[in-house]
Amino acid sequence: MSQSSIIGAGTTLRGNLDGEGSLEIYGRVEGDVNMTGEVLVGETGSVLGQISAGRVSVSGAVQGDLRGSEAVLLERGAKVVGDLSAPRVGIANGALVRGSVRTEGEPAPAQHKRVAAAPPAPKAAPPALKSAPFVAKPVAKVEPPVVQALAAAAPAVRPHPPERRPPPPVLPSLGKGAKGKKKKDRDE
Amino acid sequence: MAGTVIGEGLSVEGDITSDEEVVVQGNLRGKLTSSDAVSIGPSSVVQADVAGQSVSIAGQVTGDVSAPERVDIQAGGRLVGDVKAARFTIADGASFKGAVDMEV
Repeated sequence: MSQSSIIGAGTTLRGNLDGEGSLEIYGRVEGDVNMTGEVLVGETGSVLGQISAGRVSVSGAVQGDLRGSEAVLLERGAKVVGDLSAPRVGIANGALVRGSVRTEGEPAPAQHKRVAAAPPAPKAAPPALKSAPFVAKPVAKVEPPVVQALAAAAPAVRPHPPERRPPPPVLPSLGKGAKGKKKKDRDE
Repeated sequence: MAGTVIGEGLSVEGDITSDEEVVVQGNLRGKLTSSDAVSIGPSSVVQADVAGQSVSIAGQVTGDVSAPERVDIQAGGRLVGDVKAARFTIADGASFKGAVDMEV
């Protein structure tokens, strides 16, 4: 079967790795790594590129996204700049990460996105449809809705508000005596 | 144990530079340079120039091979490319096409 592969500490690889089985990286890889089995980045290992594998275990440095169909595990001493995504993501005490983490499999996020994207459209659309018929029917039959309709229309049509000014205040006629004096006192 | 092993199921496309022993049992396309021994296993297919302190070939190699020490093509090994080495052996059952420079 497929044998495990090792990139030793004294080795630098510029290019992409593709394969089955497991891979241990103690050297430097500048390129993407694609494995079906486990990829282990040792303490001395560093990877500049994406890693996707069944299981990704990091104790070294990685600058790139990590994807595990099974798990992504960052051990103590790991330094990762990139996004992590796997059904199981483990970040040990002492591991450094800068990036987003998603503890979901590959298919799951896609479904969630669809679900999240789909409802808003239906929800937005039906209210408009429902409100339109509801308004339309009452307008024909009952008066209150008509008022509402006018009220709703009013903001749009400016001329109405000026016409509907409240009546001017009716001032009670003042008595000739004390009341007038009191008022004068107040004004002063 | 070898410092670097490109296992049987692994395909590498790119350059490998190393200062330790390199064993290739998978596929390699690009370039392989090591300051230590290089071994190309029986099941491997290598399309690359290979340079090492010494190079042993038991698989298929297409590319130039150079080593200050020695180059050996094992039985069953196949090399298409030029060889530059102080010592060079071709085992019975090996196939080889290319020029040889032994720095005479």
